[in-house]
Amino acid sequence: MAEPAYTVASDSETTGEEKSSPAFPEIAIGIDIGTSQCSVAIWNGSQVELLKNTRNQKLMRSYVTFKDEVPSGGVSNQLSHEHEMLTGAAIFNMKRLIGRVDTDPVVHASKSLPFLVQTLDIGVRPFIAALVNNVWRSTTPEEVLAIFLVELRVMAEVQLKRPIRNVVLSIPVSFSRFQLTRIERACAMAGLHVLRLMPEPTAVALLYAQQQQQMVHDNMGSGSEKIALIFNMGAGYCDVAVTVTGGGVSQIKSLAGSAIGGEDLLQNMMRHLLPNWEKLFSSRGINEINSMGLLRVATQDAIHKLSSQDTVQIDVDLGNGSRICKVVNRQEFEEVNNKIFEKCGSLIIQCLNDAKVEADDLTDVIVVGGCSYIPKIRNLVKSICKRELYKGMNPLEAAVCGAALEGAVASGISDPFGSLDLLTIQATPLGIGIQANGNRFVPIVPRNTTMPARKELIFTTVNDNQTDVLIIVYEGDAEKAEENHLLGYFKIMGIPPAPKGVPEIKVCMDIDASNVLRVLAGVMLPGSQQPVVPIMEVRMPTVDDGHGWCAEALHRTYGATLDLVTVQQKI
Amino acid sequence: MNCSFSSSLSNAKPFLSHGAKSHKPQRKPVFIAFSRSRVSEQENQSPNLYKVLSLNSNQASVEEIKKAYRTMARQYHPDVCDPSKKEESTRMFVRLHAAYKTLSDPVLREEYDCRLSSRNSQGAIRPRPDFAYQCSRNRWQEQIHELKRRSNCRMNMTQKEASWGSRMRAKNDSQTKDS
Repeated sequence: MAEPAYTVASDSETTGEEKSSPAFPEIAIGIDIGTSQCSVAIWNGSQVELLKNTRNQKLMRSYVTFKDEVPSGGVSNQLSHEHEMLTGAAIFNMKRLIGRVDTDPVVHASKSLPFLVQTLDIGVRPFIAALVNNVWRSTTPEEVLAIFLVELRVMAEVQLKRPIRNVVLSIPVSFSRFQLTRIERACAMAGLHVLRLMPEPTAVALLYAQQQQQMVHDNMGSGSEKIALIFNMGAGYCDVAVTVTGGGVSQIKSLAGSAIGGEDLLQNMMRHLLPNWEKLFSSRGINEINSMGLLRVATQDAIHKLSSQDTVQIDVDLGNGSRICKVVNRQEFEEVNNKIFEKCGSLIIQCLNDAKVEADDLTDVIVVGGCSYIPKIRNLVKSICKRELYKGMNPLEAAVCGAALEGAVASGISDPFGSLDLLTIQATPLGIGIQANGNRFVPIVPRNTTMPARKELIFTTVNDNQTDVLIIVYEGDAEKAEENHLLGYFKIMGIPPAPKGVPEIKVCMDIDASNVLRVLAGVMLPGSQQPVVPIMEVRMPTVDDGHGWCAEALHRTYGATLDLVTVQQKI
Repeated sequence: MNCSFSSSLSNAKPFLSHGAKSHKPQRKPVFIAFSRSRVSEQENQSPNLYKVLSLNSNQASVEEIKKAYRTMARQYHPDVCDPSKKEESTRMFVRLHAAYKTLSDPVLREEYDCRLSSRNSQGAIRPRPDFAYQCSRNRWQEQIHELKRRSNCRMNMTQKEASWGSRMRAKNDSQTKDS
């Protein structure tokens, strides 16, 4: 039976389900969409292979130019010079904007990019636009990503001579479930079906598991369990994972991540070179954008050089009459970015603590991503983990290789030599719970819970004869509910009148292996064997754009009338 | 037990029932069971956590437990199973992981082993396995037993060196018994 090659995914419902197995399983490709660069890889039957574009590049810049009628991305397009990306016509750093609202500090930091990022600070999606023939043409992060994904897809289809539908994408650890739906939306727009969204360090962990397994096969390594810490820092995000590996199984013990990366290092450095640059460029005329672009390229270049040399000479004419001529040394760079490096350190320590692992227990420490070339980063990880760094991986290709391995494993491919006898046992990067006990966040699935998982908790009413309760589901780790990511909300109605504290409201959360979250809620009265009203089953997230408002509006409308409290644990 | 709620869930959607909870008799109110769910739930689902991990011996080393978990995960994790058996494999894996979590933690394992041996000493495996409850009940009975034993000891000694009061009580006791 022929399956339609291109289908439009529905808005939120169950397109994420695997189909019943076809006779010849299609191998899903692995895609790593980085903030700055992207790549595609596939299991070619004996090993992972990175696909190259027509210009023989394995790593392509992540951007889309809206210069002509048809927008073109970094896969097919050839930049005559880096500056071309900075004329206002190209949109990039999409990964830092997707699924974020205009009150988010990461969105605000993106306002210094040489295209238009407009914020109204009311909790809606930011307005982004590219400058085309002196017109700001609006777009969305999803659209930009989709254009880019289509190019990657065409590139892969041409080379593999078959239609591509299934993909495994690597994503940052700190992405909320709402952001994941935006990534899925972008893939659907590009006609791609997401088999898995894999946190980047867990993709690296899978590659590590395969390498270790290979060594056992070659009788070079011991078959014993290995504990590895993976630190991955690119242009947009910093992620850490602790994995326990043995027999080809990579068990993720803990994850930690934050939206800090090379982009922040770059912006801090630009501020250091030209303290009031944000103000200077705020009007965003063509000249300002041009100057901003020049400063950006010069600073980026300097940072790259500081990875291999102690000092660098910066000499850039911004074209508006001002010229920056300065010698910068590595120490200055490190001081300017001290806060970022501190944050990196705290993520590593948090991850080790969460995994209940001491630095001495680690077998290997793996540093990957674009920022892994920065000496300060390497030294930082080395000093916390008290280890030399693992050498067996290409820092820029590790994540996409892991995604391709997962693509092959999740597609049901097996390898006669056992190279695909692999498994990732994932963990939840963020806690999931509901608002209860006032405005507290009560996690039902704690952070770093092994998936698939099923957890439940009992709540009760706060008012006598309360007939309705509101279940507001959040994701995150903050104590106050509203400081977490809102995933959705629904009401349970028709609770029989009873004194407060008597009805038992059981909330159950179910996460399957493909990370689909279902929230179930039911009401029981003591002594009864059956739920008194039909159970609610809600696939989350259900919120859409503008979700920043919802919780506030709910609170304003209902106050505490529909509240819940946790049932005291009786031992 | 949380049985009724879960079993009704599982009627609605089979994959939600992780384990055959619906077969369990329900004697306790939901509240108490829930507060202990962390331990008792796992035991509801499987008669023996070692068997869930395909281990023959309760003496298995930590390494053996870990190895067994990985081997079983490679067979039952939904990622490596046929998609048509997704619900079943998810259920199986959740059970497997719960067993591993208990047995790989030295404290939880000791607790579990204690409950397991007390269950075994009572002979047949009971269908209503609220072990925390059972365990404390056993302990309480043991304590009563011990108190009685000590008290009996003292009784036997009364004739020689006990206090007047206890001698009188013993005398009264024997008189009541005789009458």
